[in-house]
Amino acid sequence: MFKASAKMDFKLRRPLEASSNASSSMMSEISRNLKPGLPFIPCDSTNICYGARQEQSFSEFPPPQVTQCHGLYAREQKTETKNQLEPSSAVNDLVMDWNPRLMLSNLSFLEQKIHQVQDIVRSIISQEGRANELAAQQQLVTADLTYIIIQLISTAGTLLPNIKNALLSATPVAQTGVVANLPVNASQKHHEVLSVELAKASEYDELIKDLNSGGEGDELIKCLNNSVAEVSESIPIEDHDIKDYDDGMDGENLPPGSYEVLQLEKEEILAPHTHFCLICGKGFKRDANLRMHMRGHGDEYKTAAALAKPSKVASSEPAIIRRYSCPFVGCKRNKEHKKFQPLKTILCVKNHYKRSHCDKSYTCSRCKTKKFSVIADLKTHEKHCGRDKWICSCGTTFSRKDKLFGHVALFQGHTPAIPMDDAKVSGMSDHVQVGETTNGMVANMGYNFSGNASDDAQSLDIKDVDDGQGYFSPMNFDACNFGGLDEFPRSAYDVSESPFSFLSTGTCSFIPRNGEN
Amino acid sequence: MERAPQQSSDSILATLSVDLLIQILDRVADSRDRKSWRQVCRGFLHAEALRRRSLRVLRLEALQGLLRRYAACLERLDLSACPSLDDHALAAALAAGAGLWRLRSINLSRASGVGWRGLAALAKVCPHLEAVDLSHCVGVGDREAASLAAAAGLRDLWLDKCLGLTDVGLAKVAVGCPALEMLGIKWCLEISDIGIELLAKKCQNLRVLDISYLKITNRSLQFVSSLRKLEDLSMVGCSHINDEGLQFLNNGSNSLQSVDVSRCENVTSSGIISVIEGHKYLQDLNIGDCFPELAPLFLSKLNYLRDSLTVLKLDGFQVFAPSLKIIGLNCRNLVEIGLSKCKWVTDEGVSELVAGCVNLTTIDLTCCHLLTNKALVAIGDKCKNLTCLQLESCKLITDNGLDCIGTCCSNLEEIDLTDCTMTNAAMKYLSRCSELTVLKLGLCDKVSDEGLVHIASNCKKLRVLDLYRCFEVTDDGLAAIATGCKRIKNLNLCYCTRITDLGLKHLSCLEDLHDLELRGVHCVTSLGITAIANGCQHLTELDLKHCHLVDDAGLFALGQYTKNLRQANLSYCQVSSMGLCNLLGSLKCLQDVKLVHLTQVPVEGFESALRASGGRLKKLKLLTGLRHLLSPGLIQMLQARGCRIRWVDKPLNLVP
Repeated sequence: MFKASAKMDFKLRRPLEASSNASSSMMSEISRNLKPGLPFIPCDSTNICYGARQEQSFSEFPPPQVTQCHGLYAREQKTETKNQLEPSSAVNDLVMDWNPRLMLSNLSFLEQKIHQVQDIVRSIISQEGRANELAAQQQLVTADLTYIIIQLISTAGTLLPNIKNALLSATPVAQTGVVANLPVNASQKHHEVLSVELAKASEYDELIKDLNSGGEGDELIKCLNNSVAEVSESIPIEDHDIKDYDDGMDGENLPPGSYEVLQLEKEEILAPHTHFCLICGKGFKRDANLRMHMRGHGDEYKTAAALAKPSKVASSEPAIIRRYSCPFVGCKRNKEHKKFQPLKTILCVKNHYKRSHCDKSYTCSRCKTKKFSVIADLKTHEKHCGRDKWICSCGTTFSRKDKLFGHVALFQGHTPAIPMDDAKVSGMSDHVQVGETTNGMVANMGYNFSGNASDDAQSLDIKDVDDGQGYFSPMNFDACNFGGLDEFPRSAYDVSESPFSFLSTGTCSFIPRNGEN
Repeated sequence: MERAPQQSSDSILATLSVDLLIQILDRVADSRDRKSWRQVCRGFLHAEALRRRSLRVLRLEALQGLLRRYAACLERLDLSACPSLDDHALAAALAAGAGLWRLRSINLSRASGVGWRGLAALAKVCPHLEAVDLSHCVGVGDREAASLAAAAGLRDLWLDKCLGLTDVGLAKVAVGCPALEMLGIKWCLEISDIGIELLAKKCQNLRVLDISYLKITNRSLQFVSSLRKLEDLSMVGCSHINDEGLQFLNNGSNSLQSVDVSRCENVTSSGIISVIEGHKYLQDLNIGDCFPELAPLFLSKLNYLRDSLTVLKLDGFQVFAPSLKIIGLNCRNLVEIGLSKCKWVTDEGVSELVAGCVNLTTIDLTCCHLLTNKALVAIGDKCKNLTCLQLESCKLITDNGLDCIGTCCSNLEEIDLTDCTMTNAAMKYLSRCSELTVLKLGLCDKVSDEGLVHIASNCKKLRVLDLYRCFEVTDDGLAAIATGCKRIKNLNLCYCTRITDLGLKHLSCLEDLHDLELRGVHCVTSLGITAIANGCQHLTELDLKHCHLVDDAGLFALGQYTKNLRQANLSYCQVSSMGLCNLLGSLKCLQDVKLVHLTQVPVEGFESALRASGGRLKKLKLLTGLRHLLSPGLIQMLQARGCRIRWVDKPLNLVP
């Protein structure tokens, strides 16, 4: 029995090899169906990333007047100011999930925008040869297109909660097609431009990647979110002092204002992937993985420049100290809190948000009582769960021998319990029940000392082998818990990987075909 | 007082009541005399049973009957000679005296078949149990310790080499038996600092503690030092302990009387000094094989122990004459000194030592190659009370040296002259020592019958005689020994090739003979063995390796008469399946047999002989070739009954 449990244990811990392992991907699908509440619908993460709150601001936004790559930055700051002027609409937006009218206006605006870009490109074609102007215009195009992409994504993102509620039964493949199409179409337009400006191809790649990578893309998100957060000032703040076991920046004592506070949105925090391939839509956790993936899309992605890590230092600015705020209003980690304690990194934000403000959906398969919202926490727990093999005669369990012995030394009459791993005894452990515990071990032991105790081995009759200690043995503990492990479905901790595996099989082949149509 | 049953008027019992008989019995000390007493009549037997306090059982099958007779009065029970004892037998035996037991001490050493059920039964029916010896019961573990812990009154507990014992078992004992005074957990390799810590906290009455060869660190000593009553601490071969740990012992309690830190590689003089400073009544100090050189500071610190120190063991040190002089000056009361393997010990050094320590009774000079007769003269001159002298491999010593010893040390009981160039003259000098009980003459190939005649003439108390490779010794020498030294218990005649059946016939009158080694005595035949078997019924160990002429007849005799035989080496003997089957089947005590190169025995012979042994064997030595020829079931059965089989792969070498 023990052997079986150990094997299972190994199985559970093994990293999931999604694409190659058919059975595991099937398992993950099952688990996904079991947990409909989790926001793990494939591909929606792209949309979440860029928030759904910008509609109001950009509808009145003038065509971008940017001159360099950092233009995105400048524009976003403008967005901020805009938002400050119109707080009510943003608040409204926060409250309302999806407005078809709004979307329509967004789409028509996008159409306008695309026309603008077309005009610029045409003018570029007509006035060939003037290098300095060309450069400026080209940057303009790039910036505009980037902007379009973002808007497309965010527009699509507004659909998300509704999709979740309404289309639960719909196949994820269909959703993937609908949503992922948008960026792909946009990028195809880029390719048109690209055909003209082949020489600048690599630069373009950089940009695309920047959009996806943690570097500038993150900043983009943050700025977008900042605006929202600042608007929400008017909302009355409840003071939940949630006990925070996050490692954010406790002990660090930065004076307020000496650092930049960024706030990610809930959807963005919970997204399994933050980096997406603009060609096939596949999501990645790390931009390095995305860069590796991009190589498969053509030789232009294989250059040293394309594969290089996007350097943050390039932005020439002295490194701004950046800290993060939790989007949960009332949380101590939220910047509106009186005793605001910022979080240090995006990872801290993610872990904090999941631990403090999300359901604990991962249950320990051993003890079936401990629940976690962060997989890593579950795995850490599982390393020690059931290892409380040091047991006192009073029933107290310890994970360490010295702790048990310290306890025994302290209390009169307490003794360590003996594990029943004895070969002759283990056979009897089957009918041991955890819970009914008796301490006196010798008292229970009945010896048959009647007259017939002569030559027959049977005469040495142990009446009650299941003395108190038996109940505490780890063997039994394991046996009880793992008796039905085989029926237990693959538990929740593969879930986060599952959409990933799904994407890799489903969408890659599907999207490009759509694009061609 | 119960009256003896009515007898005829001329019976002795008519005049002697039971209490008078007991009074008389109290004055009979010798065990053989007591045996005669028991055989007089039923009344005498009854009186003896009422008086008997201790019992050593030699054969398991007799256990139940014996206990039925003695249960009521017995206080000490020794079952160490019954290794095939198991839970069932123990429980059944204890049931014989249920409700009456006054047992205080039980020795179950090497009774590897005893498990927790038996021990639980023991603890239950013997409420007065104070001492239990479970040493070398390799199967004993935590569960057994837990069963024992039910005996709350336990004071002495020996668990040496109970390999399954861990901290948990030790904790069970520590909690269950808080009155513990003596505890031996030597070789219990699973025990760690944590267990020792708890032990020290729970058993504050510990006086004697043996933690040799444990993997414990200085931390343990920190807690051991809190035992205020600790007198005797043995920690041989604790390589993780160093001076820092020994410093914990220097806590002002002054309780320690005996410390053994031999073979603790990381201990140096400074650690020993801290022990000496902390315990000014120290009597026994063993620091052999720790560190090579004696620091001057250590030697001067010995002055602290001027009055108390009686035993000092310095095995393996580089001890020079000046050091021995200081020891002689500082340790006036020294009774025993160990200088074994101290290769720089010289005559001058020994002279200086004995000049100061005139009370020395035991001197170990094994492998002190530089010593000559001068040293012996000095010893004989100063140490009039000498009882034990170890001179193995002191090759420069000659007969004349022993002249002085034989003359001056009339109390000499034990002398080891192995590998010394002694002749018959030396035997003549030694024969003056009438108290001699142990005489080792291995490799002294010039000693012949004449020397043995000298010894036999006066050394009536000789118990151990080692004549290993004394080629000159013949049957006549043995005849002299057999007539002069009736109490010989151990006799080693290996490779004394001139000995024949006649010699063995002489030896057959030695009733006390327990251990006889005849390896390579190739003239001996079954006739001689039969004579021995007939006469020496207490024989427990017999080595017949390379006695090529011994055949089935000898084994039949052994099987019939030497019922106590426990170890036998029959390798290279010309025995057949029949003899082997008979021997293994009829000897109920046999537990260790060596059966290498029995060329006359086919595989089937081994098979049936081993089956006939009925699982009593604990150790077995066989040729590797048999491993796959014997039936797996048989091997499994033997191993399941606790038999360890050693497979050897030796070429058939007929000439030793």
